[in-house]
Amino acid sequence: MLNKSNYFIIFLAFSIIALHSCEEPYTPEVLNTEQQFVIEGFVEAGPGANPTYVMITKSIPYTSKIDANALGNLFVKNALVSVNDGKNNVALTQLCLQQLPPDLRRQAAQSLGLNGDSVNVDICLYVDVFNQLDRKIGGKYDLTVKVGSLTMTSSTTIPPHIPIDSVRWTDPPGEPSDTLARLWVWVNDRPEKDYYRYMTDTDGSGLVAPFTSVTDDAFFNGKKFEFPLQSAPRRGARDFDPQTAGLYMRGDSVTVKWLNLDKEHFDFWNTRDFAANSGGPFASYTRIRTNIKGGLGVWGGYSVSTYRIFCPEK
Amino acid sequence: MSQFSGLNYRTISFMKKYLLFYFLLASSIVIGQSKSYSIKGYVTDDGSGETMIGANVIYVENPKIGSSTNTYGFYSFEIPEGEVTIMASYLGFQSKAFRFNLVRDTTINFKLTEGVLVDEVVISADREESRKNVESTQMGAVSLPMESIKKLPVLFGEVDILKTLQLLPGVLSGGEGTSGFIVRGGGPDQNLLLLDEAVVYNSGHLLGFFSIFNGDAIKNTSLIKGGMPANYGGRLSSVVDVQMKEGNNKKFAASGGIGIIASRLTVEGPIVEDRSSFIVSARRTYALDLAQPAIKNTDFAGTNYYFYDLNTKINHKFSDKDRVYFSGYFGRDVLTFKQPKRDFSFSLPYGNSTATLRWNHLFNNKLFMNVSAIYNDYQFEFTGGQEQFVFKLFSGVRDYNAKVDFDYFMNNKHSIKYGVNYTYHKLTPNTASAQSEDINFSNDLNPKFGQEIGIYALDDIKVNDKIGVNLGMRLSIFSQLGPYDPKDGRKFSNFEPVTTYTRLEPRSSFNYILDKNSSIKAGVTVNNQFLHLVSNSASTLPTDIWVPSTENVKPQSSIQYALGYFKNLKDDTYETSVELYYRNMNNQIDYADDYVNDISQDLENAFVFGKGRAYGAEFFLKKSKGRMNGWIGYTLSRTERSFDRIEDGRWYPAVYDRTHDISVVVNYKISDKLDIGGVFIYGSGRLFTPTNGFFFIEQNLNLFYGPRNSQRLPDYHRMDLSLNYTPKPNSTKKWKGEWNFSVYNVYNRKNPFFINFDTNSDFQTGVTTIEGSKITIFPFIPSITYNFKWNQ
Repeated sequence: MLNKSNYFIIFLAFSIIALHSCEEPYTPEVLNTEQQFVIEGFVEAGPGANPTYVMITKSIPYTSKIDANALGNLFVKNALVSVNDGKNNVALTQLCLQQLPPDLRRQAAQSLGLNGDSVNVDICLYVDVFNQLDRKIGGKYDLTVKVGSLTMTSSTTIPPHIPIDSVRWTDPPGEPSDTLARLWVWVNDRPEKDYYRYMTDTDGSGLVAPFTSVTDDAFFNGKKFEFPLQSAPRRGARDFDPQTAGLYMRGDSVTVKWLNLDKEHFDFWNTRDFAANSGGPFASYTRIRTNIKGGLGVWGGYSVSTYRIFCPEK
Repeated sequence: MSQFSGLNYRTISFMKKYLLFYFLLASSIVIGQSKSYSIKGYVTDDGSGETMIGANVIYVENPKIGSSTNTYGFYSFEIPEGEVTIMASYLGFQSKAFRFNLVRDTTINFKLTEGVLVDEVVISADREESRKNVESTQMGAVSLPMESIKKLPVLFGEVDILKTLQLLPGVLSGGEGTSGFIVRGGGPDQNLLLLDEAVVYNSGHLLGFFSIFNGDAIKNTSLIKGGMPANYGGRLSSVVDVQMKEGNNKKFAASGGIGIIASRLTVEGPIVEDRSSFIVSARRTYALDLAQPAIKNTDFAGTNYYFYDLNTKINHKFSDKDRVYFSGYFGRDVLTFKQPKRDFSFSLPYGNSTATLRWNHLFNNKLFMNVSAIYNDYQFEFTGGQEQFVFKLFSGVRDYNAKVDFDYFMNNKHSIKYGVNYTYHKLTPNTASAQSEDINFSNDLNPKFGQEIGIYALDDIKVNDKIGVNLGMRLSIFSQLGPYDPKDGRKFSNFEPVTTYTRLEPRSSFNYILDKNSSIKAGVTVNNQFLHLVSNSASTLPTDIWVPSTENVKPQSSIQYALGYFKNLKDDTYETSVELYYRNMNNQIDYADDYVNDISQDLENAFVFGKGRAYGAEFFLKKSKGRMNGWIGYTLSRTERSFDRIEDGRWYPAVYDRTHDISVVVNYKISDKLDIGGVFIYGSGRLFTPTNGFFFIEQNLNLFYGPRNSQRLPDYHRMDLSLNYTPKPNSTKKWKGEWNFSVYNVYNRKNPFFINFDTNSDFQTGVTTIEGSKITIFPFIPSITYNFKWNQ
């Protein structure tokens, strides 16, 4: 949960900085370290689940700008990727966008929130194309990735799913608006420890997670609980408008992907969100907790439900 | 369970040896005393009646015999019968001497007049002060009268004692502009900050950029960074003992100042002339109040921030033997944030309050007692929400403290202090609650309770003309008390001990006078700390939480060895010293690298424990005589930490590690109307954990890090200047004004405060950018303050 007092620190810090600060470019000393391999892979079960996939990239040192070609080169090709579901050991198939037929490319790109016709980067994924894995609640999935002589491993589970019970739209708080709305969801939490994550898509451009994308049930364990579901900013959006942040446009058709995840998977996102949101003058650094042995990133299981919710005009 | 059951055989055996050593030493000195009588009394400021702390009173016929006044302005010593001359002196005041025939125990109260008339007198005052550098057994101690602090350059026109302390060797700033400070490698929480004996748990206003000590209400500040005497306990690194003024007991007076961000007003006067007085001092900032018309037209109408301090003190002298003081402090930072368009708001008050009731009693010529009852409270509160959703957060520390201290001036060879201190602590962690319509949530975290007992004795022994020894011992006992529910089936009721830690803390220092002008000192100090503040930041933030020692959180401990060479030059014009120290620290507390602030969890679950070590050399050259005075301090040091769960136990430099630190402080009196001050600071850049690189997750760039604290920001340096102008210094009018012009960072050095990376990635176009920037927050900042004094 976001510590609200952080607002205070952020507000004051920015007031002081806005009054007096000056900013100069900084180029860090490049550390003599090798590139790390980064895993981003998910195994999902439930309505709206994506096929199981793993993306392998290389980390980059500080560099001011990289182009599409350099970005494409970060994708690791010809790795050996396999997932064991307890019964089957399934080798995932390498798919690179540029080599796919247009239809398939569009489909694959869309699942990443990209337009397949104009994507410039040759993104490569390793996919369970024949859906051989037995994806189910309670399942355990062991990942093995071999890149050259390096082997990386990880393990995750798909936890029980707690779907959204119901939703409602209200006017935004404060000043009335004919165009903006707020989305509330009810959840019936279980007595067991649960971890939640969600993503939204308001215009078909792809699902995106909000700034603070995960929560545990520390404050509502075992309770029926209602909270506002923040609209995530569009991917790549750089402007933050406090007047519209988290709100939806009336008339929008909103897709919500509602996820449950296990503790290790939650820890990854929780540290990632915290590291991304808590920067600034007084913050210490936060290392993102990975569940990959031998690399960075995450191998995560999700139980999924997906909702399409129409935000009515006023 | 007995409180003392933790005393094991080894501890008792150690105590026995220590005491045996003490008695052998003490008895060897008492033998061979001749017929003598004691001289005792108070030293006060003739103008205001304020008692003077640290004034020197000497037996002129043999200046080696004498004493400094204690915190209450009291002195006592013993001299041989016959014709004697006793002289009292204090920096910036005219010395006074009495000659008389000593035939019985005698009381002499000195009233010193401010200002200097005859040069010789000044020299003797300065000289006596300078002699302490060589002759006292105390190491690493500095006393700063408020008047000398006020002459130095200031940031935004606000005089700040904690920032002045940072200019001394061995004391480092917690970060640019902050009042948090680091002493010999210990964190900001390891400094014991006392305001009229009350512990101050958060010394900073506005994220630590200003300290809570209002210069107008403060009489004296002393810092002990080395061998902490046994009468202080509960912290590992240092003591900052701040005494408030008592108020003028002769006439009514007012003083104050108008600055660019804050103003101050102090009123003082007699209640019963020469017997009792009061002082009330207030300070408030108004920078954002003035900006309200501009804020009104923004989306944040109603947003405001200010802080204020209120100091009060009254005292009454019942007789020469009994005096009672009551002092109090109340201060708050108040932030109100409003975003009316979205009905979002929060208010955030936080601050300290303290109250101290003290009774000084003189039993006889030799035995002085102080009894204190002290209350102090620090609280942080947050209430915010949107529409019907309300979120509340509260944390704090509250202490009830009773203590009794005795000063026994046994004879000229033994000056003994002993006493007992009891504190009951209530520490409230981040208790959070939220309400949305009729649904309530809370994190169910309860306050923790503890009691701390300190019993101490120390003897400052003058073995002979060459050797001085200060032997002290403190027994510290801390118990975590109920009510407490560790959620493992056990339940502890009110005041029931959960766990008890008993620690013995020997404190010794030794002085060997080599010749008239030089001495060698050495000391060993053991300290324990039972309350902890673990911060991700190098400064102190209001959101940081104090936690007690519990079953899981063991007390922090430290042993410090120090060795120093002290020399005065040119007839005591210059004081110099070189001090070397080595410290070992155990049970140090930090957060793991992947710590995420989670208010639903008990903070102690997020702690990791390790050890620390610090060593260094401090060089000090001070000139306190003449028109030009000041000091140069240089510290060469190393501070390291090792935690099993951070970097696999590898020793790494602590975030406070600063290899080089130089401060040059100069004050020059051009004329009675004009004096100028300058400060130059140079230090190794602050350590930080560098970015090792970036990686993509969900098409966004994330940072990953190299080894902890393995790179430094560029070296830090800056110069500040001040000019104090008193238009009519010799005016006999009731109103006197003075201007202070200060410039912070004169040559606009862009010292980076932090480093930021702004990343942007787009998988559609493939263009990815990373912009690194260093942000400086205190460029060239001029300020102007008008100070005034009014006397009845």
